[in-house]
Amino acid sequence: MNLQTVNANVARVPFFRFLNFEVQSMDDFHAEAEMTFEAHHIGNPIMEHYHGGIIASFMEATAAIAVQPDFTEVPAKPINLTVDYLRPGVKGPLYARANVTRKGKRIASVSVITWQTGREKQVAEGLYHFLLV
Amino acid sequence: MAEISREYMEQVAQMWNARGKGLITHMALEIENVSSEGVRVRMPFNPDFCVDKDQTLLHGGILTALLDSVFGLANFVTIKGISSMATLDLRVDYLRAARSRADVIVNAHCFRKTRHIAFNAGNIWFDGHEDAEIARGTASFALTRGDTSLLEAMTKGKAS
Repeated sequence: MNLQTVNANVARVPFFRFLNFEVQSMDDFHAEAEMTFEAHHIGNPIMEHYHGGIIASFMEATAAIAVQPDFTEVPAKPINLTVDYLRPGVKGPLYARANVTRKGKRIASVSVITWQTGREKQVAEGLYHFLLV
Repeated sequence: MAEISREYMEQVAQMWNARGKGLITHMALEIENVSSEGVRVRMPFNPDFCVDKDQTLLHGGILTALLDSVFGLANFVTIKGISSMATLDLRVDYLRAARSRADVIVNAHCFRKTRHIAFNAGNIWFDGHEDAEIARGTASFALTRGDTSLLEAMTKGKAS
């Protein structure tokens, strides 16, 4: 699948438009995306940091695309997730990389990292499961 | 630890909601109940949070965001003297597809607090369908205690 088709798919999802991200690279086992900072992403009212839930949502969206970039109606069905928050997400772009650890017939397991200034300085990391049936 | 009065908790909760910025404002939360047992919050249906063209199916991420927010609120109202708070980790199980245009109800509480850490749990259902939970979550938060409480910082609008 080419990136243009994937991003056209992303643009059809109302919540993905709310998150405002673009898929920048992908193959059968991974997807990478960049999210643009928006006022409605703010969680901490004093410091203008990303809301933890927005970070987790962006990670879930990137993971779902890595698993099923060619979804027709709705993105891959999430089963559950765990996220570790490592650093605050500050005002500015946020990047995510989702690696498909295993994709079986029914279930996929995906690990995701997010960062801002450099990949080694992770903002969060998470594990996501999806139901493929 | 001294009991915290219901009035204080309600005042703090309203302040949290009114001073919230960004996503909190966008979620248009209504605080339904606040006590030392936990908090109950209502989130009206919002088509922006859906994944489908017909806009009837909520994205899991918004449920995760809602849990994270309301856990924060539960800590804020039941633990005094917090100067800042950060989510350490979060686990969410999506129990069924969140397909409805009904309001979403969240219940959250802090089941253990220490000087540095708070542990939370909560669940979510559509209004009127308490027997059909759509998500359940647990989280831990790192607390920073100090002389300047988060409440004061929010009241004055200054950085903590």
